[in-house]
Amino acid sequence: MTKYIFRRFVAVIPTIIGITFVIFMFQRLIPGDPAVAMLGEHAAKENVERIREQLGLNRPAFLDREALKQGDIAGFFDSQYINYLGRLLRVDLGTSIHRRIPVAETLAIRFPATVELAVVAMVIAIVVGLPAGIASAARRNSLLDGTTMVGSLIGVSMPIFWLGLMEIMIFAVFLKWLPAGGRLSVGMGLELKTNFVLIDSLITGNIPAFLDAVQHLILPSIALATIPMAIIARMTRSSMLDVLQEDYIRTAHAKGLMERFVLFRHALKNAFLPIITIIGLQAGTLLAGAVLTETIFAWPGIGRWIYDSILARDYPIVQGGTLLIALMFVFINLLIDISYAYLDPRIHYD
Amino acid sequence: MTEITPEELGIADFAVREHRSLWGDAWQRLISSKTARIGMAIVALFVLTAVLAHFFWDYNPKTDLNYSLKLKPPNLIPTEEVPSIHPFGTDKLGRDIFTRVIHGGWNSLRVGLVAVSISLIIGGILGLLSGFYESIAVTPLERAFLLGLIGLMLGFLPAWIAAQPVQIFLFAALGAFGGIFDKLLAGRPGRYLIFGGLGLLIGGGLALLVAPYVALVCGILGLMIGFILALQLGGRAFSTIVMRGMDIILAFPGYLLAIAIVAFLGPGLEKGMIAIGIVGIPIYARIVRSSVLSVTQKEYILAAQSIGESHGRIIFRNVFPNILSPIIVQSTMGLAGAILSAAALGFLGLGAIPPTPEWGAMLGDSYRFLTSGAWWAVFFPGIAIMLSVLGFNLLGDGLRDALDPKMRT
Repeated sequence: MTKYIFRRFVAVIPTIIGITFVIFMFQRLIPGDPAVAMLGEHAAKENVERIREQLGLNRPAFLDREALKQGDIAGFFDSQYINYLGRLLRVDLGTSIHRRIPVAETLAIRFPATVELAVVAMVIAIVVGLPAGIASAARRNSLLDGTTMVGSLIGVSMPIFWLGLMEIMIFAVFLKWLPAGGRLSVGMGLELKTNFVLIDSLITGNIPAFLDAVQHLILPSIALATIPMAIIARMTRSSMLDVLQEDYIRTAHAKGLMERFVLFRHALKNAFLPIITIIGLQAGTLLAGAVLTETIFAWPGIGRWIYDSILARDYPIVQGGTLLIALMFVFINLLIDISYAYLDPRIHYD
Repeated sequence: MTEITPEELGIADFAVREHRSLWGDAWQRLISSKTARIGMAIVALFVLTAVLAHFFWDYNPKTDLNYSLKLKPPNLIPTEEVPSIHPFGTDKLGRDIFTRVIHGGWNSLRVGLVAVSISLIIGGILGLLSGFYESIAVTPLERAFLLGLIGLMLGFLPAWIAAQPVQIFLFAALGAFGGIFDKLLAGRPGRYLIFGGLGLLIGGGLALLVAPYVALVCGILGLMIGFILALQLGGRAFSTIVMRGMDIILAFPGYLLAIAIVAFLGPGLEKGMIAIGIVGIPIYARIVRSSVLSVTQKEYILAAQSIGESHGRIIFRNVFPNILSPIIVQSTMGLAGAILSAAALGFLGLGAIPPTPEWGAMLGDSYRFLTSGAWWAVFFPGIAIMLSVLGFNLLGDGLRDALDPKMRT
């Protein structure tokens, strides 16, 4: 078991190197010189050269074969990509071009906002999607089943940015029940410690701020939860239907067990593996979907930060944010893989 | 012995079933399903209006502008204030939203179609080859080709370091040599000695002409390449390489990668197509590979192999027709996903460049006016996106039920 977990961790390393390579290639592909972007078009040549040297942009991209020719082995490996990897190991994601602050610092401030939104959305998706799927499998071809299936089909077809806009239109503009955007109203006097607003407000006992944060969370988290909710409901239904056809379910019924017992103890337990897989995969959708949802709801998370930085051509932030989200995704998939070992004793890991 | 006909036996309506092909059967199943019929109707509606509008309804987005009709709500009867009819209202430049939604369909559907074609062709070929050669042994010629290719790719590194392009070809030749003499000293240290030695010679020997340290580095690299080429790699190696590459693309969640690609390529409809197409490649590669893996276990593949049919012929005649159904289903569903992604890119201002009409870009253009009550400028383009995506999803669901009755739950 420990060996299996260790092997999974090792297998992730090539993927992570591949990710850093792809992200590094993006930087190379951008037209224009980052040093010029920092200093402006009319900067003096020597200033540009100095910045290029500071950023290491005067080094070759991957390996310096000229240095090797001179017999300089250390110089051979002194390249942009290898230096980039070295900086990554020290959690140095570079400096924002426009704001002149370390990228890692800004991401650390914004990341909790994205996680908070994604976790709440995931909870909504599971709490609604899972029971809906179980119920429609248990009452197959009923009105409930039909409604759930039509609803989930509409859900997976929903452009979430449009759904978000419609929510704002109805609940914020016309009905004025909920705020249209942001994470917290101005003047809540909340002291930020972990940057998770819900947790911070509870720790400091600031109940008005907590309620205000919940109000701000409702619309974006529902918009973000829609697609995962629909997918979880569909997957749960089809997975449950598969299991319900098994012989042991018939046996359980024949023994006279209560339907509830059969459904939850016998069926759900065995139907859970594909459901867990799909829930894990949705975590990626949530993180990526955050770009759209956060943009619409002015949510100060990583997604919106990446989007703003794309428009401002602040590429170090785009790179750092993309890398962080991709690494999160890889990590979640790793956790799912490992959880299989606990959930399904039939699978052998050797 | 005389022939007995149904009439002689006195069976009047002998159950002779009208002959139908498998595809005919699938078609019957498709049109008998309600969801598939609704899906087909929606898809047909969108495709027809988009194509007809594109060819028969002139619209020039560059000159379409009328500030006096800015942000007017939908009206079906001309009034004094708004003399023209706008069933969906007008946007911030006074453009008729109905016209733009209809014309936007052409762009949105086109992005979806091209993106899916890119992912399907590249992903399909990669998945087909890796699935096929994972389960069917390669011929010596194919092995020589495969190892030659690996030698070519690996040889690129020492060749680049030493600035001697000829090394690439020598490593490719070494790979091909290893493929042809697959059984030479198989599994014995001698094989590694020969190949490692040759690799060392190709890498280090040639690089000696450049500089001693270059020769050292290239020699070590050449030795390692030689060892790899001595490994008697087969089809499984190819499949592993391809699928690892796919895993890296899949490590980027959803359209974040598409957003990143477009962010670096610059906005535009064509770049959006490419970005969404690239992101979709691994999905098709995986589906095609797993279908091929199950098809190649069938007896008819074994039969085709045993009568000596070539691999190319088996792929085209036996494998390809049998993996069509999952491809068709995935492509239909993929179209829905591609339209959604294209709309998302357009919404973020990374897709179609204004004033080109495109549903996502129209939303991105007008959502700022939502707070002033102009709901129609946001509502109708969004409904168009949702309905068209829903149509393709319904059709895909129906196709899956029709093409693969075993999958039916």
